[in-house]
Amino acid sequence: MTAGRRYFEEIQVGEEYESPGRTVTETDIVLFAGLSGDYNILHTDAEFMKQSIFGERIAHGLLGLAIQAGLFTRATQPYATLAFVGLRWRFKNPIKIGDTIRVLARVLAKKETAKPDRGLITLERKVLNQRSEVVQEGETDLMVERRPSRQG
Amino acid sequence: MTGAARLYFEDVQVPGNLETPAMTVTQAHVGLYAGIAQEPFEAPSDVPAFLPLCLVTGLGWRSPQPPLAVLAFLNIEWEMVAPLRVGDTIHSRSRTAVKRSMREGGLVVEEREVVNQRGQIVQKGRFTFLVAKRPPA
Repeated sequence: MTAGRRYFEEIQVGEEYESPGRTVTETDIVLFAGLSGDYNILHTDAEFMKQSIFGERIAHGLLGLAIQAGLFTRATQPYATLAFVGLRWRFKNPIKIGDTIRVLARVLAKKETAKPDRGLITLERKVLNQRSEVVQEGETDLMVERRPSRQG
Repeated sequence: MTGAARLYFEDVQVPGNLETPAMTVTQAHVGLYAGIAQEPFEAPSDVPAFLPLCLVTGLGWRSPQPPLAVLAFLNIEWEMVAPLRVGDTIHSRSRTAVKRSMREGGLVVEEREVVNQRGQIVQKGRFTFLVAKRPPA
């Protein structure tokens, strides 16, 4: 097991984390369109989007979700995560090319599970842009290991 | 406006079952995803939790029907039911659960499952989109 990972027992309800910022570029959007295969004109047609309510291309919602997942790993010491199990998420405002986003996260709840070697951690996360507007927000559920007993 | 075929709110069928072609999740997908998300990846055969979700949004583009005229992706509820490994082959099954007309466009709630090569559901959930109405001719 990697050193420095935090077990279920060590994580406290109410802990808060803030990530560094990351500027979302055209390259991110083009790469994500290529990886996902989601070529929706919202993300790929600059001319069409000039006429839209957004006025320009916007990032895929799921690109914002992926970027916040990466930023979260830089916001705090890693958890001893066994699995990512659930997501309830809202896309509230567009992320545009050149926007700089960051993540604020808070431990909302800890729950015992049927298996004694793990527990469920629910985090509330907000993705903010450079104007501190919430662009995405929601809750994520992580299955996290308990500290292994010495008897093993 | 190019006149390219798009599926407007009026065209959305309930339940409108859709099954996409399949794709094999490779080390290349994991590496590209990790680079875009800037997420450290752990064991080399592990697939990041959001990668299958991202891949199935694109699989719909390989089905014969034109793409949905999405104005905005509003929300998602998603469950990771079982782990996925590099080398697994996934496809998606979806159906429209709800369709509700609004003043500007309409809400479409889609239920979606990601299925592996053994027919097991690995991820599932609901997407809510705001979809454009057909522009007047």
